[in-house]
Amino acid sequence: MKATGIPLLRGAYYVFWREMKRLFRQRTRIFMAVFQPVIWLVLMGNMMAGLTDNPYAAQMLGVDNYLIFMTPGVMAMSSLFGGVFSGISIIWDRRLGFLQKMLTAPIPRFSIPLGKIWAIMLQIFLQMLIIMAIAYLLGVRFATGLGGVIAMLLYSGLLGSAMGGISLAVATVIKTPETLFAVVNFLTMPLIFSSNAMFPLAAMPLWLQLIARYNPVSYAVLPMRSLAAVGWIWPDLLTGFFMLLLLNIVILLVAYRRFERGLVL
Amino acid sequence: MESKGEYLSRREPAQEQTAPARREMIRTENLVKVFPGGNRAVDGLTFSVYEGEIFGFLGPNGAGKSTTIMILTTLLAATEGRAFVSGYNVSRDREQVRLHLGYVSQVLAVDDALSGEENLWLQAGFYNLSRQERKKRVDEVLELVGLQQRRKDLVETYSGGMRKRLDIAAGLIHRPRVLFLDEPTLGLDIQTRREIWSYIRRLREEAGMTILLTTHYMEEADQICERIGIIDHGRLMVVDTPANLKKSLGGDLIFFDFAAATGEEQRERALQRLREQPFIQKISPRGSEAHGFVAVTADGEADLPRFFAALAEINVKVSRVTLKVPSLDDVFLAFTGSELREEHGDKEKHMQERFTMRRLRT
Repeated sequence: MKATGIPLLRGAYYVFWREMKRLFRQRTRIFMAVFQPVIWLVLMGNMMAGLTDNPYAAQMLGVDNYLIFMTPGVMAMSSLFGGVFSGISIIWDRRLGFLQKMLTAPIPRFSIPLGKIWAIMLQIFLQMLIIMAIAYLLGVRFATGLGGVIAMLLYSGLLGSAMGGISLAVATVIKTPETLFAVVNFLTMPLIFSSNAMFPLAAMPLWLQLIARYNPVSYAVLPMRSLAAVGWIWPDLLTGFFMLLLLNIVILLVAYRRFERGLVL
Repeated sequence: MESKGEYLSRREPAQEQTAPARREMIRTENLVKVFPGGNRAVDGLTFSVYEGEIFGFLGPNGAGKSTTIMILTTLLAATEGRAFVSGYNVSRDREQVRLHLGYVSQVLAVDDALSGEENLWLQAGFYNLSRQERKKRVDEVLELVGLQQRRKDLVETYSGGMRKRLDIAAGLIHRPRVLFLDEPTLGLDIQTRREIWSYIRRLREEAGMTILLTTHYMEEADQICERIGIIDHGRLMVVDTPANLKKSLGGDLIFFDFAAATGEEQRERALQRLREQPFIQKISPRGSEAHGFVAVTADGEADLPRFFAALAEINVKVSRVTLKVPSLDDVFLAFTGSELREEHGDKEKHMQERFTMRRLRT
């Protein structure tokens, strides 16, 4: 046998395979992943539905059905949460010794976060399809049809992957789930509340608008909201896409460095 | 290193004896690992393990055994010195080293959410084996560790011993030339330990694998290792076969207690008498017990009657006599000292240990 290392993508595939096996064995996790956004949609949707009766509010929201406004927001939030906790799996793998096992195998180290990110993305895709199906049942009709659905999957996936990358990179130096939770919460709450996920930009004070505009969550929400409520607004779509792509590249580079050099055991 | 509070003096260990033609599968040269904070976990370690050998690293907790293994398995970078596995430099040719080594860590590195078979399938994937080859090897290692019957069951339903066997099987899937076993029987009951030992011996016999294992069970080292290196404070104290190590202590031990009523003067007289005997090499008091002493003789069985004869000449009462042939425990104590150690490990390490124990005991 010619002794050579394992290609990156192949290594990542096996990491991905394991995550998938695990996911589909954990029924509670699947149930929660489905149920949580349903709660968001049904509760928030109904609670806030009255908002659009107020013409001023309807103007700020830019839609006449609050659910159409809310669906992309819930999708972005679910993607963010789907990604941001992925670092936990590194911490558990470290505790179980599985991380060490993967590190002594001849797979490139970067294939570990890469495989885990793929798993997150697939999980997010499934979750998004369910959310969109539920939204459809609740009467939401997307302005861009099936093409828009696919495009929205893409944006959700990019957001989830970026968040997953951050979480995985952070987990290379953090050893306990509690600490990671603290870091993640520190990150996610401001990210959500300073974005346009739940409230329209127009309803925010100026300084918050400024933050919200450069918030990565907004870069996913804005294009998705256009796709859902308005149509193919290319400037929004392209800006969002390239900003998320750039963010992903930067985060993956950081994760690459952390896994190749700075991984704490 | 002076042994503390021990009765035996060490002879210089016999020169390491090795057949010249055997290939070095593991070699370290002056290996040093200093952790941030200044803990010198490994402090100038030089040793070799030869092809087909079972080499045991014996040492107290925190002696540097696991750190050394982590350096050899490319998990940690050495601060100084060089190390080679199967001829490849562990810091430069990492991929080659990883392809050639199998590593079974202290903790149970199996995924409880997967079945036994899936765990092995995954491991085989990490080594890029073809589908066909993978199937073959999974069957092969399952057979070896006796888990064929339970292969489809989730690992969370396995007992601790079964998990350990699966873990070892995973380390063998790519037929490594060199296998590292870090505390392979830690926390297992004696029956399971013996079972694991027989698997380890079979690996050597059937696959010609070179095995480096760490342990702090003397019995384990004595039973399965051809050579033992005693390591303490990150330094190698001695390397030899278990038999030679035991011999190196220089003799057998006669433990004896004078009767409680024995007066000091009478006791001194008796000790004086014993010291005059040519067969007794040394007599020393046994720690805190005022009446307890230990004598070192070359051949305990032959010397014991003479010991009694010498005492019989003086009217002294002895309440207890025990003859002890040195065990590896005594060797261990002589080389590492007997004081209790504070563990350096961080909180997370303890957490990991507790976690492992819990999984082993299910």
